[in-house]
Amino acid sequence: MKSAKLAAALFLLCSSILAHDYVPADEQDHPILLVGGNLFTVSGDVLNGTDLLFDNGIITQIGRDLVAPPRCEIIDVTGKNVYPGLIAPVTSLGLIEIGAVRATNDRHEMGRMTPEVKAHTAYNPDSEIIPTIRANGVTTVQVAPDGRLIYGRSCILNLDGWTVEDAAIKLVDAMHMDWPRASVVRAWWESRSAEEQRRDMRQNLDAIKQVFEDARTFAKARALDPTTPLDLRLDALVPVVKGEIPLFVGANDCRQIEQAVLFCKEQGIRMVLVGGREAWKVTDLLKENSTPVIYGSMLSLPMRQDYAYDVPFKVPKVLKDAGVQFCIAVFSATGVRNLPFNTGQAVAYGLDHADALRAVTLSTAEILGIDDQQGSLEIGKKATLIVSEGDILDYLGHRVTTMFIDGRAVDLDSKHKELNRKYRAKRVR
Amino acid sequence: MKKHLLPLVLLVCGNLVAQTTPQLGIRDKSSQCMALTNARITISPELAYDTATIVIKDGIVVDVGPDVQVPPDASVIDLNGKWIYPGFIDAFTEYGISTRDGDGDRHRQDRIPVYEGNRAGATAWNDAIHSETDWVAFFEPSERDSKEWMKLGFTTVQSGKRDGVLRGRSFVALLGEGLPNDLVLNASGSRGISFERGHSRQWYPGSQMGAIALLRQTFLDTDWYLAARAAFEKNAHQKMPEFNRSIEALADFRSERFLFEANDELEIPRAYTIASEFGLSLTAVGTGSEYARIKEIGELEPTLILPVNYPDKPEISTMDDDLDVSLGGLRHWERAPSNAAVLEENNITFAFTTQALEKRSAFLGKVREAIKRGLSQKTALAALTTVPAQICEVEHLTGTLEKGKIANFFVCEGNIFEEEQTLYSTWIAGKKTEFEPLEQTDFRGTYDLSFMDHKLKLDLAGELGKPRGSIKLDTTEIELKNVSAEFDKLHFAADLDTLDIEGLTRFTGRLKDDALYGRGITARLGEFDWSAIPAEPEEEEDESDSTEAEADSTQAEEADDEETSDDEDQPEELISRLTYPNIAFGYETVPPQEVVLVKNATIWTSEDVGIIENCDMLVMNGKIAEVGPGLNPPSNARVIDATGKHLTPGIIDEHSHTGISGDVNECTHAITAEVRIGDVINPDNINFYRALAGGTTMMRSLHGSCNPIGGQAQILKARWGMSAEDMKFKPAPPSIKFALGENVKLEFFDNDQRRRYPLSRMGVESIIRDVFNAAREYETAWEVYNNLGRREKERTIPPRRDLQLEALVEVLNSRMFVTCHSYVQSEMLMLMRLAEDFGFKVGTFTHVLEGYKIADEMAAHGAAAGSAPDWWAYKFEVYDAIPHNPCILMDRGVVTSINSDSPELGRRLNQGAAKSVMYCGMAPEDALKMVTINPAIQLKADQWVGSIKEGKDADFVIWNGNPLSMYSRPDQTWVDGRKFFDVERDRQMRLEIEDERSRLIQKVLGGDKNGNKEPKKKRRGGPHETGRKSLGSVFISTEGGAHEIR
Repeated sequence: MKSAKLAAALFLLCSSILAHDYVPADEQDHPILLVGGNLFTVSGDVLNGTDLLFDNGIITQIGRDLVAPPRCEIIDVTGKNVYPGLIAPVTSLGLIEIGAVRATNDRHEMGRMTPEVKAHTAYNPDSEIIPTIRANGVTTVQVAPDGRLIYGRSCILNLDGWTVEDAAIKLVDAMHMDWPRASVVRAWWESRSAEEQRRDMRQNLDAIKQVFEDARTFAKARALDPTTPLDLRLDALVPVVKGEIPLFVGANDCRQIEQAVLFCKEQGIRMVLVGGREAWKVTDLLKENSTPVIYGSMLSLPMRQDYAYDVPFKVPKVLKDAGVQFCIAVFSATGVRNLPFNTGQAVAYGLDHADALRAVTLSTAEILGIDDQQGSLEIGKKATLIVSEGDILDYLGHRVTTMFIDGRAVDLDSKHKELNRKYRAKRVR
Repeated sequence: MKKHLLPLVLLVCGNLVAQTTPQLGIRDKSSQCMALTNARITISPELAYDTATIVIKDGIVVDVGPDVQVPPDASVIDLNGKWIYPGFIDAFTEYGISTRDGDGDRHRQDRIPVYEGNRAGATAWNDAIHSETDWVAFFEPSERDSKEWMKLGFTTVQSGKRDGVLRGRSFVALLGEGLPNDLVLNASGSRGISFERGHSRQWYPGSQMGAIALLRQTFLDTDWYLAARAAFEKNAHQKMPEFNRSIEALADFRSERFLFEANDELEIPRAYTIASEFGLSLTAVGTGSEYARIKEIGELEPTLILPVNYPDKPEISTMDDDLDVSLGGLRHWERAPSNAAVLEENNITFAFTTQALEKRSAFLGKVREAIKRGLSQKTALAALTTVPAQICEVEHLTGTLEKGKIANFFVCEGNIFEEEQTLYSTWIAGKKTEFEPLEQTDFRGTYDLSFMDHKLKLDLAGELGKPRGSIKLDTTEIELKNVSAEFDKLHFAADLDTLDIEGLTRFTGRLKDDALYGRGITARLGEFDWSAIPAEPEEEEDESDSTEAEADSTQAEEADDEETSDDEDQPEELISRLTYPNIAFGYETVPPQEVVLVKNATIWTSEDVGIIENCDMLVMNGKIAEVGPGLNPPSNARVIDATGKHLTPGIIDEHSHTGISGDVNECTHAITAEVRIGDVINPDNINFYRALAGGTTMMRSLHGSCNPIGGQAQILKARWGMSAEDMKFKPAPPSIKFALGENVKLEFFDNDQRRRYPLSRMGVESIIRDVFNAAREYETAWEVYNNLGRREKERTIPPRRDLQLEALVEVLNSRMFVTCHSYVQSEMLMLMRLAEDFGFKVGTFTHVLEGYKIADEMAAHGAAAGSAPDWWAYKFEVYDAIPHNPCILMDRGVVTSINSDSPELGRRLNQGAAKSVMYCGMAPEDALKMVTINPAIQLKADQWVGSIKEGKDADFVIWNGNPLSMYSRPDQTWVDGRKFFDVERDRQMRLEIEDERSRLIQKVLGGDKNGNKEPKKKRRGGPHETGRKSLGSVFISTEGGAHEIR
């Protein structure tokens, strides 16, 4: 008992030294062998009682009874589950610390169209939120700006880094925008008539079309004459119109989705649908145009009064059955730690467990264009993976004990665990 | 009421000149007597004569009936079968008020808070109270506005501005021109009430519950004021009570009539509750949706005033538009015209008003629609005459055409309730205003016109009384100019150049035996005689295209006839179902209480016995009758085989805001203990049903967190489909919401909006302490007063009853319990110490995100914790929130619950509890206790709910798996032994909803009345709209089975 107290005291002392910063891990400098785990490969079957070896940050072997190479660290994970690290698209991690404190919020820029801004320029790798997200199994995130119409550009990062550059997988990966409203509001607070609203909607669509056409014209002009003055906003849109980076379009209402998909088709833009609360209504269109969906409303109320209580829970199942490519997201910062559980809800409402797991790993990697490195347990992919004592998607199983990012052992401590320890040690005097 | 004075006015002088006005010039003593004969006269809803005479003199009906002698001095008008109805009365108008105060936007709120009212004239503290205003003082008759009503047969209105919570006193007046003095029938009409602040710039009341509290307090203040003034009169040696004109004006409120204007059908029972508390005689102005809560409204035996502004046809011309229309909206569109018929069927007394119509002229058409839906003509007439007369307290003067009543009536062509009729004239106090002449000569037809050797064709067409036409010579057509008709005389002019007649030739003639004879004059050739004899029909004259057009229109008419003929024979059959509430997923009937035996369940008892496997539970009379293995079912029992399933107590949410009408916050004053959530429960909120679908059966509906002391809370059971009153859980003691921290110190106001105390946590302590001191003193003051002898009491100004302090006295005496929005440790410690100073305990800290820092102190004080599961970092005061909070609190002996503060989380509280299993290893049965028995303890309702125990309410959930697993969901949710949610029934309802929606949409589009036929209108659709999936096709086939837990 005494020694336990002493240990606790020592631990406290240590953690207070480490307080605030959970030190990024060192590069993997020796091979690591996970022995006897249940490997949720995602790309293939669940391999029970199987070993996984990785070195220099890359998975090198998967199989039973692997032989440990020299200097190899062996970790027994018998009975535990091994998963690829969870990937969270469209988050505001590192851009917002405390929502209501403006000084800590760098997610919005002024103006309706701000394609020139880049999320990575404001990312804070020391955000206290990040360790709490890692602790629940998320290794990789896309960080995106918010705004009014065209938001700006996102980056893809792993959650272990001294700086944003250190953490970066892609510093600029996609352009983000919100599709304008397509519904007519008849509530008392809406002062515009239905006609005026429809007119405004048409004007919004015209404005979007115009800006992309301007970007094309600008690109042409620059190609012909490199001295054409540089317009930062249009320049930022050039990779979008050229199809070099995708356009992430926020849309929930099926009318918005239809408009957006048809617009991007016409413009030859690679679109990713973000939101998709009514994507279930237009699955044929989405499939026909190979538009992926980042569904972010797992745990939400039904969108319309007449919709059944479980419509939001069943959307992934419907998308899966219809053959639409999709993944699951939590559009927030602090809430990203609930990504696995939000996904579990889809299982309760019909989605196969394997498909659910894919929707937070490999499918996400595919949609973000990083599936060559991440998203599954495969030889040659990054050793970005997690170990959990039980089913990662359920509160009853989820216990993440170990995380590797590019083979580096990540500290899973957090401000929350620290405060927990501190106040568990509190005694009233 | 000074009713007797006014008829005299009219008896003495029919000419409408106030008697007190000095006579200038010669006195008019001409006969004012008039007889209208040969009319079909409706005397009252009960009595009508097919052929009768009405004699009016000096503005009143002196005789009426079939065998009436026409007095010799009467001028006689032969009505020749025309109809006479008693003049209509509109009991809810803003007619003829000269001031512009109270016009314009009624929902405006200044950005900068306004806490103080305009006290000029010694009025009430709150500018939403206008009781000092007598609207008759602003009465200015308007001929132009009058005519809007008179054209519809109205002769009398009650009028007052619709502004504010207490609106001032209306007056009842005749329409038409004249001196206000001669038109007023009742200067002391109804006093208006509403739950809206109106144009008052003051922020309070900022919510419906605030408006209700203000009403209550104002009536209490009136009683106090009168008592205080009386005591002061007896004994001036005490503090002088204030003078208050607004309150003084209410002195007789118990013998006056109040007119409550509702914004929806739910407000009507709320208003009647206040009326019964204070003995008010109430009439409610409805909204036309009373049918949706007819049972509750019928039980009030109300008198209603109904608008007839049925909703416009939902705009669904494209498939896109369907999405913006709810089933509830479609249903109301279809059913609204039936509202009056439903009220009649339920024996509810009502009047009609033109108020709320966008175009008043549409009024009679709307009434006829109601009649087509089954409203009797007799009740319709009563709703326009006798009932509003009673509401206006002028039934002894007008409303019928009995002898002695004011001669208010109108003359029309036929039965005004069957189809549109020409309304010839409206008579007010015997004075006629003519809209159409009684007799009009019909000049229309084709004539052979001959004059000065010319033979031409004369064509007269156009409307009766407003003819137009042309003269034809071979193929030349000359348009007639300046055509006018005057009795049997016709004038017109024509430019006859083609006949070599210069200038404009003018004609004047009279119709005699279908032919026209008259004189004309040309510019140069002088006068001439002319005649026009009806022409023989000539078929060849018809032009080919006009024939086609005619044929088309005839066909169209026939087609229309076919479609409408059915409708005329029998009332239209309605497609929409009526459910409670009347939206998607409402129930046609409340689920019955059943005898139920659940067999072989894994029962999570939330009692010391913990989780029992293979256990049975028997439910009888809404209670848990027995729990144990191998129970035998009574003969009438429904037996549920729950093998492999889990049964838990119904989930209880300590912190919810579901189902509150109006604002959740009275976000104005720092202390608003006087407002009550229980006053504004909205049982129609779909989130109650969604809560049931997530296993939640009970919730405490709380005031928001805008002020240190908010409003009183209301515990509800999710009894979906029942009334607001029946959803309330009444055995538990009352509770009240407090709040601390950033919200109450106005962190989320702009800097220039921060204009009230407190603005810091220090000030929060001070203001709470101050008001509790006041509550103590208040209690003492009453004790002292109550101990006085009867004579002393009469001489002593009593303490003023104060609903705010009364609530806080209840808190001080531990009869009302505090649940306090709180985050950081300092503020929670503060409140506990403050409460200890005053000798009470804080009931529950809700949110309690830093509870883990002071868990021991909370346990020692005896405060419970209603924790949010894992929110943090959205504002500074939650930056130290941790998901381990519930574990630490529970470990240190604090009764801890997980609550929602959100309708979304409120339907998944089991998952909120499961987080503690994951983050900090809480035992599963303890985790479930955090959403069952622990919140029940916090609500002081644990002797009735919260666990599976014999004798407790049968509120339970059957889950398809472990209730703490992400993969489980409720199959059934029961409240009081009634099955309020069933996953199978829900699936069935989806199909019904989809079918009903689509049939209603077809009906809107003009398909047949059952919504089956192809609509007439083809709808536009985008290229991909046809590819859209329907809810039914996607979500009913999807089987959401439980999956193996890995």
